[in-house]
Parts: sequence; structure tokens; C-alpha cells
Amino acid sequence: MDITRRKFVKASAIALASAAAGGTMGALSGCGTESGAPAAAASADAAGTVKTVGVCRFCGCGCGVIVEAKDGRLVSVTGDPENGSSRGLNCVKGYYLANALYGDDRLTKPLIRDDKATKGTDGGLREATWDEALDLVAARLKETWKADKSRLAFWGSGQQPIVEGYATAKFWKAGLLSNNIDPNARLCMASAVVGFMNIFQTDEPAGCYADIDETDVFVTWGANMAEAHPMLYSRLTARKLADSNVRHYDVTTLTTRTSASADKVLQFAPGSDIAIANAIANYLIQNNLYDREFVADHIQFKQGAENIGNAFEDGYDASEAGKTVDSVENITFEQFAARLAPYTLEYAEEVSGVPAADIQELAEVFADKSRKVLSLWTMGVNQHNRGTWMNHCIYNIHFLTGRYALPGDGAFSLTGQPSACGTAREVGTFSHRLPADLLVAKAPHRRYSEAIWNLPEGYLDAIEKPGMHTVKMFRELSKGNVDFLWTAHNNWAVSMPNLTRFLGRGDSDKQGIFDCFICVSEVYPTLSTQYADVVLPAAMWVEREGAFGNGERRTAVFEKAIDPPGEAQWDLWMLMEIAKRVLEGETIGGQDAFDLLFGAVYDKQAGQFKGSQREVCRTLWEEYRTFSNPQLNEKAAAINAAEKLKMEAKQLAPYDLYIENHGLTWPVREVNGQWLPTLWRFCDGPQEDGFDQLGVQQYGEQDLAAGVSFYKSADRKPSAVFRPYEPPAEVPSQEYPFWFCTGRLLEHWHTGSMTRRVPELHRALPSALLDMNPADCERLGLKDGDRARVTSRYGSFEITVSTAGRTVPPEGMAFAPFFADETLVNLAVQDVYCPLSKEPDFKKTCVAIEKI
Amino acid sequence: MGKLGAAAAVCAMALMGASLLGATQRPGGLLRPPGALSPEGFAARCVRCGRCIEACPHRAIHAAPLSAGADASTPCIEPRQQACALCADFPCAAACPTGALVGPRSMREVRMGTAVVNEERCLSYRAMRCEVCYRACPLIDEAISIDYRQREGDAIHAVFAPVVHEDACAGCGLCVQRCPVDDPGPAISVALAEG
Repeated sequence: MDITRRKFVKASAIALASAAAGGTMGALSGCGTESGAPAAAASADAAGTVKTVGVCRFCGCGCGVIVEAKDGRLVSVTGDPENGSSRGLNCVKGYYLANALYGDDRLTKPLIRDDKATKGTDGGLREATWDEALDLVAARLKETWKADKSRLAFWGSGQQPIVEGYATAKFWKAGLLSNNIDPNARLCMASAVVGFMNIFQTDEPAGCYADIDETDVFVTWGANMAEAHPMLYSRLTARKLADSNVRHYDVTTLTTRTSASADKVLQFAPGSDIAIANAIANYLIQNNLYDREFVADHIQFKQGAENIGNAFEDGYDASEAGKTVDSVENITFEQFAARLAPYTLEYAEEVSGVPAADIQELAEVFADKSRKVLSLWTMGVNQHNRGTWMNHCIYNIHFLTGRYALPGDGAFSLTGQPSACGTAREVGTFSHRLPADLLVAKAPHRRYSEAIWNLPEGYLDAIEKPGMHTVKMFRELSKGNVDFLWTAHNNWAVSMPNLTRFLGRGDSDKQGIFDCFICVSEVYPTLSTQYADVVLPAAMWVEREGAFGNGERRTAVFEKAIDPPGEAQWDLWMLMEIAKRVLEGETIGGQDAFDLLFGAVYDKQAGQFKGSQREVCRTLWEEYRTFSNPQLNEKAAAINAAEKLKMEAKQLAPYDLYIENHGLTWPVREVNGQWLPTLWRFCDGPQEDGFDQLGVQQYGEQDLAAGVSFYKSADRKPSAVFRPYEPPAEVPSQEYPFWFCTGRLLEHWHTGSMTRRVPELHRALPSALLDMNPADCERLGLKDGDRARVTSRYGSFEITVSTAGRTVPPEGMAFAPFFADETLVNLAVQDVYCPLSKEPDFKKTCVAIEKI
Repeated sequence: MGKLGAAAAVCAMALMGASLLGATQRPGGLLRPPGALSPEGFAARCVRCGRCIEACPHRAIHAAPLSAGADASTPCIEPRQQACALCADFPCAAACPTGALVGPRSMREVRMGTAVVNEERCLSYRAMRCEVCYRACPLIDEAISIDYRQREGDAIHAVFAPVVHEDACAGCGLCVQRCPVDDPGPAISVALAEG
């Protein structure tokens, strides 16, 4: 059966039309089968089309989709009206999602590079058998592991499905006793995560997408939602249409499509957002406009290490400043107010360039308790040399005004990737984490994990010390200090900053990429596979079963709909086969190591899973779910009680319920045999209406101000931490007079490795352009369409200039998206990171721009 | 060189074959380069020298095929293949030796035609977040803007409907080139400016 692309598109259109005509898809639940192949009998229509439930492969919105397949091939993907996050809406990426699987150059056979001299070229890889490729990867991993396990690493992703992330973390942390595992979410969400942990001692947003429907004022901070969160921006816009009094303030460094539709734009000098946020907090206190009851009942005040410098040097983390960045001390409210006092509106105007009157207007918006206010933010806040601090400053305003964890009144950190929350954060694929928010550094957390993983007590003490975070991983790799790297669900050779260094295109002593053994699991050839020693062809999206967890704590399963092409395999199978080889002959507590860790799902003698993909996912989920349902494990329950871990505060439901319900937001509470999701965390109210009734009853205190209780926080009080304005790591100079900011645009997902293979999306945005201010162009003699060279102290790239106005930076700033590997903007982007979260600042590299 | 360039363009035209049929069949004639006189004036002045074709840095201008009859070999643009980039200095018009093309002072003066959205085909009108044409438009928020509408039967999502403003649209066709809808054709096209 050979369908040409044109015919395929035609088929999609017809199927879509029929789907639209068919109305809702409520009866679709569970239409995948035990064997992993679609249940043709259950839901195939007369034409032989099989429908399955899925969730979009791309951004953090987590839109539900209905997938239709026929004769082993996807014929359409349409919005799923039953999905509570998206209710059937999609963007153009989701509309063409099926086509992302059918690029001409899918990887279908394992590939091996025999000659390292060919690294960085598009040649040098030869086809191999799975056995040869797996033997080679496992041998190199085992060799490195035995010689010096500080020199091995895994780089994962917020796009890695949940149970795979869980299994990978388990293999790395319990199997290899290594913390050198980190996800690309470090580039994306880490500042939000450290903010959550510092403030709430739990890594989660209290609110949900329904807050958008309930609020009266939106404040977007460093977030181009119109392009990066298309579905949610549609929801925001619908709220504005429904009530003409609803307002949207956009706090940004450049004019984006989000600014274009906002009611008011506060355009600030890069890095000065902290001064603005502090000025708002100060104004609220000075003018007695804060919520005394909420503050008295719920908030503790702190200050932390200051003058912390910047992470330019590889040795920053170990420096005096670097070692103390996490330290905080309690202060009184009066001391907190005194620290804020210098942040007058005038001072904030001086630092930020935003008129004092505009800052005052926004402060008054927060002060007006007759209206609800919802803050939303993403990478402008997180990819920031003080990203964690800026997260703190936003919460500070919401705490002072009693606007947190209430419907429509909240501070909501938007996520970038489909499973940044579900996988990277929830199952513990960070270098310092264990599953379910647990930390390697805390002994009770290690004991708890040992109990669930059946490890001898004390076994995980070997991983007490966190491993390498992402930038450190690549910095060490470039210096030749990493001998084995395995990456999956990411394209680091395009998405990492400072690629001139990391791809060995700069200093002669930073050529480690050519020596390190690199294994890349991928679906298409990418720039990363050009540096791989072994490429493992992976099953993509609905070619296997998986689950994602989106930005509102919603876990959703995507069922297997079709088989992968050629010899491509499920990532989990690759993990099992490599783990099996590496752990051969190893024991843990006298038991076979592999069988102890993965024997429940994989028969290593037979080389196959014990059961269907559905059963394997269910078994792993049920094991992972034990972390948040300690009563399922007697030993864990005892530790949970003795150490007051409150693990069931993040309760998850049995696996199949997520399919039946088209996704559920955690905590999912068991009430009389029913599993009820939670929309508004820490907010008292009927559980059946989405409030956190059971959590507040069990651990919190009822009848406190605003009817909320932050029972996961120390002393049930989140922390308002004073964070001062400190300038960007680097500021424009005569040599590098421009700020350079990078980001995403609507048509392409991340590095474009999937969306650029969709002809319709490639046509829609074929190349990356450098958006510049027309006044700068005139000064530099540049016209729209001219080629320019952009150079920083890190590296340079060439790009076409645009003044068309999609994104309009102020004078002295330029913007470009990072999806295009032929442009590779990250050659010039700094790898300086927030000292607390270790998340790089992709928004403020200083560059020179010249006409070519 | 000039002749060679023109010859190459004719060859390219021939290769495109079917897709150009759309151009030749466009109601009202061919989409001309920016600055073209009225159809009558253009027909009277254009000597089919191919200099505008040669001057176009984006290879957007082609010689009309023989099937265009009396218009054969005159310069035209098929935006789905390559739209006019509205160069700041209009090299095509500058190269015209006969005044059939008269250089506009800015892209805001260009009136090649007007984009028309096919609302049946358009993904945005069907409530998907697309609006590729809007973001691609060199006169964003002037020639194409978004009309935000409540989505029918859905209280929590909006329709982002692209709307073309005839008085501002240059008719360059970049929206047509970028539109992700392709079957049976793009959801936006350029209607010619009336004589």
C-alpha cells in the first residue's frame, strides 16, 4: 500500500470531515487492545478506520486528540472534545500531527559510526543489527561505569513519556547508582521548579487551565502565549470576548503577537523585571493595599544569599558564591517590607524604562480585590540569569494580595513541553531528584525509594550527592570528562546554548564531543545524530503506548495506534535491552540486579516484555503510583508516616482510569471507590467540584484566610523571599551592542526535527529570521531580507533579517527562533545560567550584528 | 545575460507547468510585478524583455507560458510558488526600461491585488490556532488583522479569524505562499487589482 503524500492529505481531509460530522467521541475510551494493536473489532468503522485516544506530541498545553488509523497508517488527528485541558481545540501543529510520522527519512535501522573522524558530518553511519548496536552501547556504558561512573551521563526530556522516564531514572539511579541524568526540561522549567520547591516545598502549580475562564485580569510575564501556547491563548482570548471588562497586561522585553493583542504592554529593559515586581510589592505594602489576613495566616518571610555573581566559569558551582546560592534565613514582615522599600516606582522606572505610572497601574490592579488576577509566565522568566528569583518575585505579589490557589486568582507557571511536568519533574529524571518530588540528598527520601524499589536499606546512599546538571554535563563533555552519553527525545546539538563550544567548533581544548561515545535514540536524522556513535531508531508517538503530564497536572495516555516503521523500536525496549546487558552478572542485595529492577515487566532470557504494551505501562505506572499511594507498600507506608512525607498528597489513580477519562489532574482522590481529580490545589471546597477537600482535611487547616491551606509547605506556610534586582550577566557594550533573545514560534516545535518534516508546516515557516527594529536596521544599513552575521563572545551565525513586524524588538535588541539547524542561533547564545536552577539564560546574550 | 536569464525563467516556467495554469486562469489576468501599470497600460508598454525577471532576487517573476495567449512571455508572479517579497528598492521596477513597471516609493503603495480568504478551507475559521497568513504578512495588523470571535458552541475558546483589509493589502501573495492548507488548494488567494 503506497499512499502518496497528496493522497494522504486528501484522506486526512475526508476523515476529518467525517470526524467533524460524527460529533463527540465520548465512547472511545479504551479502544486500544491488550496486544498493543488497535482493537479493530471494538471501534473500527465500516471503512476499517480505527480510532484511539491520544494527546498531542508537541507543546506543554497537552491538547487531547483523537487518532484515526487505517491499514496501519494514520489518516487523521483531530481535537478530542472529551479532553479536559483542550476540549477539542488544536493548533496547526496538532492538525498536521499525523504527517510528522511520515517524513521521507525516518530512521528504521540501528546505525553505527566506525570512524570518529566523520563526526559532525552527514555521513559516516552504517546500518547495523539491533544486537550489534545494543551490544556496543551496553559494552561502552558498562566499561565507563566500571572504570569511573562520574564519566557517564543520560540526557532526557520533557518529551519522554512518563513510564519510560520512570524506568530510565530507576535504571540510572538504582541500577547504575548514578545521578548523571538530567532532562532538557533543565533548559525550560528548572527556574520554575526551584521556585516551587523553595516556596512551597512541592513542585506543582496550585491552579489549572480553568483559572483562565474565571479571572478578570491576565498578566503575562515574559510569555509569548499567542505563539508558544496556542490553545491556551485561545482560551484567554475567549475569556476577554466573554466580558469586555477583562484586561490583559503584557510585561515583556519585546513586542510579540501576545503584546499585539494585550490591552497594555509594559516593555522593560532586559533583566529589570525583578525591579518592577519588587516595586509592585513595595507599593502594595507602603500603601496598605496588601491582604493582612492572608499574609498572617499563610505566609512566612525570608531573604537569601545575594550578590551571587554569574555562572560564566565552569567552576562557578564550587565557588564561594556558587556554594551558598540556596541559603535563606527567616525575617519578619517588617524586615521584608524594609528590604522592598528602596524599590520605589521611580527607581523601577529608572532601571526598567517602564513609566512609573504604568507600574503603579499594575500594582493597583493587584490591589483591587473586587477583581481576580491571573499571572502567567514562561521562558522570559525562567531562562533568566535570576530566573528562580523572578519566580519568587511573582509569587510575592500574589501572596501579598491573597491571590493564590483560588479559582481565577493565581500565579501559573506555564510549561513548555508535553511532559515537562509529567516526566521530567514528577518521575525524577533530574540529577538531584527521585520520583514524586523526592530528593537524593535527603535520607528519608532515599529510604522511601528503597522501600518501593525493594532495595536494601542504605543502598541509595551512594547517590546522596546530586549529579551533573545539564550545562555542567555538556561543559564537562566538551573538556573530555564524559566518556559515555545517551540522549533521547531531544536534539541537544541544536537546542543547547553555547554550541560553538559544545560541538567542538571553538577552542582546541574543548573537543570532547569527538571522543565521547554518544548514543542517540531518535526518529529522524538530526544534527545530534551527526555526532552520535550509535543511533537507535525509535518508535514515534502513537507507534507505541505512552503518557504525558501537562502543565496543569493532567496526566493523559496516548494509545498505540500503529506499528513503528522498519526496525524502529519502543524506547522502553531499548532501555530494557541495554540495562539487561549492563547489569549482566550484577546483584543487588543478593538478587539479580536486572530482575530486581525490571523483572516485573521484562523477561530478559526471552528478550521480551511480559505482556502487551498496555500491561507493561500499567505495571510500571502502578509501581510508580506507589510513591504517591504509600498504603500500597507496607514499608513505604511506615516511612511515610514516621517521616511525615505526606506522599499521598500527590495521589495518582490506577492506570486505566486515565484512558477512560481522557486524562485526569492530580491529586486524584479515591472517594467511595470513585477517583476524583483535583483542579484547585490547597483550596478547600467540594472534591467533586475539583477542590482539594480531602488534602486540606487530611493535612491542612480549614477556615483559614481565603479558604486555602498550604499543607505541603513547611509550617503550612509558603515563603515570600525577598530577592533584589541584580543586573544581567552581561550588558551590551561597544563591541557587542545588541541584546539577542531566542524563542519558539507557533509553526514549529522546538528544533523542528519533526515539524519541519511536515510539508505544510515547513511551507508555513521555512526559515528562521532575525527580527530587528527598523531603526537599528537603518543605522546598520540593513534591509528586510538582507543577510547578517550575528556574533557574540561565544560564537556567530548568519541569518536573514526581517522587519516585517511579527516580533518587534525595541532598538538595541534582536530576536530569532531556534528551530532551524541550518541557522543554528545557539552557536552564539551564552551558557550562563541561573545560579539556583542552573537553567541557561537564552534571552540576553550580547551580540554584534553586521551586514554580510 | 538578460536573454539567458529570461530563457532560464521560461524554462523554469515550463517545468512548473500545471501549477502555473492557476496563474494563467486567474480571473482578470496575470498577477503582475509590483508597480505595474493598469492592464491596458502594461500591455502597451511591456516589451517582454525579461529584465524584471532577471532583476528579481527572489526569482518570483516568471515569463507567462505560451498558453497565456496574448500575454505569453509577459512577466507574472505565481505566489504559491514564490510570492513577491516587496523588496525595499523594487529592483524589478527599477530594471524596467519602458515604464511598464513604475517603482513604488514603499510597499504601502503597492497594489498588485488583494488577498481573499476562503473561509471554508481556512483552518483558523474552523477554530484551529493557525493564522499563518497573518503572521507571514509583511504588513501585519495592517493588511491582515485578526478578528477575535467566540467559538460557536464553545464558551472557552476563541476563533482567530484572519481578515484582509483591501485598502492596505499589497497583493504580494506571501500569505498564499505560506498557507498550510493545500488540498484542493490554499485557503487564501490573491484577486487581481481592478483595472
